Amino acid sequence: MASELDAVRMGEMPHWEPADVLGTMTLSNLLFSNDYRHIALKGILTSVVMLGLGGLMAMLFRTELALPDLQLIDARPYMSLMTLHGMLMVFGFIIPLVIALNYYMMPKVLGTGQLLLAGAAQWSYWTLILAAVALVIARPDFTWTFYPPMSLRVGGDLVWLGYVAIALVAVSEFLAGAVLMRNGWEAATRLGWGKLPLMGWGAISEGILLLGSTPILGLVGIVMLTDWLELTAMFDPARGGDVMTFMYMFWFYGHPAVYLPLMPAIAVLYTLLPRFLGRPVWSYWSAVIAFSLLTVLGFIVYPHHFQPAENVSGLLQRAAQLLTLAIFIPSTLHVFNWIASLWSDEIPRSARRAIPFKFLIASIFFLMLGGVTAYVNAQIATDSAFVHNTYFVPAHFHAMFAGFMANMAMAGIYFLYPYFTGRMYSQVLGNLHFWSWQIGIFTKVMMMYYLGYVYFPRWVVDYLDLPQWSGAQLALTGGAYLIGLGFIVFVVNMMWSASRGAKATDDPWAVDAEPGAGAAPVPAE
Amino acid sequence: METALGLTGYQATMMILVFAVLGLGIAALFLALFLPARWRPPYWVEFAFVVLLLALVWYGDRESAEVFAAYQAPLEESGVLEAGYDPAVGNFDRTIRVLAFQWGYAFVNEEDEISRNAAVVKPGERVLFSIFANDVIHGFNIPAVGITAEFDPGRERNVWIRAPEKPGKYLIQCLNYCGVGHAQMKAWLVVEGAET
Repeated sequence: MASELDAVRMGEMPHWEPADVLGTMTLSNLLFSNDYRHIALKGILTSVVMLGLGGLMAMLFRTELALPDLQLIDARPYMSLMTLHGMLMVFGFIIPLVIALNYYMMPKVLGTGQLLLAGAAQWSYWTLILAAVALVIARPDFTWTFYPPMSLRVGGDLVWLGYVAIALVAVSEFLAGAVLMRNGWEAATRLGWGKLPLMGWGAISEGILLLGSTPILGLVGIVMLTDWLELTAMFDPARGGDVMTFMYMFWFYGHPAVYLPLMPAIAVLYTLLPRFLGRPVWSYWSAVIAFSLLTVLGFIVYPHHFQPAENVSGLLQRAAQLLTLAIFIPSTLHVFNWIASLWSDEIPRSARRAIPFKFLIASIFFLMLGGVTAYVNAQIATDSAFVHNTYFVPAHFHAMFAGFMANMAMAGIYFLYPYFTGRMYSQVLGNLHFWSWQIGIFTKVMMMYYLGYVYFPRWVVDYLDLPQWSGAQLALTGGAYLIGLGFIVFVVNMMWSASRGAKATDDPWAVDAEPGAGAAPVPAE
Repeated sequence: METALGLTGYQATMMILVFAVLGLGIAALFLALFLPARWRPPYWVEFAFVVLLLALVWYGDRESAEVFAAYQAPLEESGVLEAGYDPAVGNFDRTIRVLAFQWGYAFVNEEDEISRNAAVVKPGERVLFSIFANDVIHGFNIPAVGITAEFDPGRERNVWIRAPEKPGKYLIQCLNYCGVGHAQMKAWLVVEGAET
């Protein structure tokens, strides 16, 4: 039963005095201020720029892929665009954005009043900028997983900068992990573990994932560099190295890496959902268990990325399959919790109108759409048939990254918007953004699933004009354009409303319930 | 997998389960949004749901392991996976050695004839592909028979198929990004016979 304690466990209400924080920031604030709202806003703005860049690249290669044969771009620039799209979207857009949203909300929700270790957050930001610049200069064409020895033999003279960028990303993420861990830990010891708000549990889970996995990524980046310089030959079989060494090292980071944007996005969801509904989430402990299980499983399922292989077989292969399937359980605990929270009582009219709430609901939808297919992805037999490296895999992670995490990040930005500009967004433009994104992402994901099911290979610039492939590729490009349109509407909305939008009321998200319904009665424990 | 494709059988069952769970989830979400009546779901509903998921996990793991073991069995029985495999005593109708390279395949048949773009087989044959690459990680996929393999340079990878009954040309493609010519890394499985 929801209790008084459950309300306490939600932490402080995520609410600030609406003010034009953004407009009153000076250049020196933007660059060097350690105020948590300044650091978070800097992260949010940068991530939106990265989303624009990564999206523009996607528009370019999607246009190329709309029709069979080569029309617009050649194989090498295509692969550079594809690689940069992946890296900018994952390392530059989605991970920093959801972490920045946590930076913004944590000091309030956890009651710290300020971002602890803000200096590390500052360094984390600037290291990432350095990495992004190095990446764009290097223009690597070895995909975001840069499998050696291929990745050691492609690219131009500057491709080594790409490996430096990978090591810098690791440093940046490690520092961000330290910040999240420090803030979550401080709140846990101050409030007690049983009263730690779910955002704190999210921060600690994320901190463990980041601190545990990124040192290996840093090492991978450095070894790739020394291998490229021919000082070492760890990963190159032609010179006595072993590809499997890379596989184990890279995916030890690579699997937690896909949870890096997941955990903070879930933490934001757990913070916003009670705020809009005016009642605690359905079950606190169910969420805590789900966070913990996801963190543990996130570290040990990584062999599923490269199996079946000669030395991932027998018991190890079976264990990886079983544990991967078991991820179903914590993910479902989260989704069940959200749906049960919605089900428990009336959904206030104020929530139904709010654009961030709409994005939140859409993100739950896409988490299910992306999550269920993990059931066939995890199984060795289907993996060896149509899953491994067909479009089925990008479909799965685009449903997660774009459908869940990016939608959730948008919910966070729209939610915070009145707090950092003092004005409301335009409802009409917000709805337009919402629907073009949902229709676009749904089309994209479904077409990718279908193409994967009919064996469309990943990473190709050109394809045969088969009837089962061509039509779906065209529709997929249409979906991508819709997402691009939504992004433009979003930017226009943000810029226009910052000076022309209606003044925000004292509490822009005040729960406006129907008479006789609304905030759930909170029975005694 | 040899038995994986088709409207019935293992793969179809798994896809149906996926759609069933998805349908259940989406229905629950929409009901939670639009249902006029409201009540707090009791905790046992979640426990029951977790039991259902555990059953799904157990079932998926078991089925996948069985199907994959059944697929691997002929390779193990013939000793393909061990050093010094002799094709003459193996229980495959045909053994084709495949050299994968940037960017293409070379198929070497039992008469040591090399083809750069076609593996020629007879309808319904059990064909063993012994795949090897020297340069980078490649993939080997034949959509028509539902088999995919990723293999590392320097390590032999063995997959087998039952050739389609219908004569014709079937696509063989690389699924693993192997450099700038990856999209061109294609070949054909040619099933001999009069095309109908």
